[in-house]
Amino acid sequence: MKTKILLVLLAAGALWSVQPAQAHHAFAAEYDEKKPVTLTGIVTKMQWVNPHGWIYMDVKQPDGKVKHWTIETSGPSQLSRRGLKKADFTDGMSAVVKGYQGVKDPALANGRTLVLADGRSFYVGSVGGPNDGADR
Amino acid sequence: MRYFRHRHAAAAVVLVAASLLAGCGTPAPEGTPAPEQPLPADPPYRPVASIREVMNSVIDPSVDVVWNSVGSDIEHGRITDRAPATDENWAEVRRHALIVSEAPNLLMMHNRPVAPPGAPSLAPGVELTPEEIRSLIDKNPAGWYLFAQQLQEAMKPALAAIDAKDSEALFAAGEKIDTTCENCHQVFWYPKAVASAR
Repeated sequence: MKTKILLVLLAAGALWSVQPAQAHHAFAAEYDEKKPVTLTGIVTKMQWVNPHGWIYMDVKQPDGKVKHWTIETSGPSQLSRRGLKKADFTDGMSAVVKGYQGVKDPALANGRTLVLADGRSFYVGSVGGPNDGADR
Repeated sequence: MRYFRHRHAAAAVVLVAASLLAGCGTPAPEGTPAPEQPLPADPPYRPVASIREVMNSVIDPSVDVVWNSVGSDIEHGRITDRAPATDENWAEVRRHALIVSEAPNLLMMHNRPVAPPGAPSLAPGVELTPEEIRSLIDKNPAGWYLFAQQLQEAMKPALAAIDAKDSEALFAAGEKIDTTCENCHQVFWYPKAVASAR
């Protein structure tokens, strides 16, 4: 019985799981276009949800410590139209994300491009980002 | 039984309508207080929250429930789809979709302030001040109403998907809702940020 209750709670938790930084704001209110970042690491999780996708990535720092990054992407339907698929996020995959660091949260970034280990590159930026040519 | 209830209800509606029609053009019966002043054109709304508070406390938390109810989580290469699993889950999502659908009516009420008194821009230089937003709304009320009603329109496919318990359709409706929010925000909330990004 306890196991059943636990499973129900886990299912409910998955259904109603909270996303980071959901509120709608202007790009420049949340991300610093003067702080571009290039993150090379291991993708640990991808949330394929509206209104934005979220990539979770472990990036090894110069001091050897691992920093856990949360990267906002455009909406999943836009990602699909640009050719990215859920199945592209394989177990333990490495990737390179270029984007901009969060204003308040140094482990948050807005992704502009995602390059997979096989070399395929995708524009993953959302509306309102800087005119940096990443979408061309 | 339901048939008889409907018949009784219909009869009651006809009686009320008939009595209202009969009352038109005739003096009020004695003892009925006559209104001293004509009724205002709008109901006497008394807004409690500002537009910012309606956004943050009513729309945002509820639209998040609608958005987050469907989608996928991919971890260790395993894709786990999200979807309401039970009738109660669907009912919960529907409650929040209705809140988002009705909230634009709150936004269109004339005397609702943009933000609490003295509140600043939440992102100075990027997002407008409440006074600047007020000015934009007052200059373009038709645009403001249009965006509010577009949000209601964008919610219709979501509500239909919920009623059909169709998680894929609800997922597809989510993008349209986001686009509608963003279109309004770019005009009334952070037009400077949009202009500088171009």
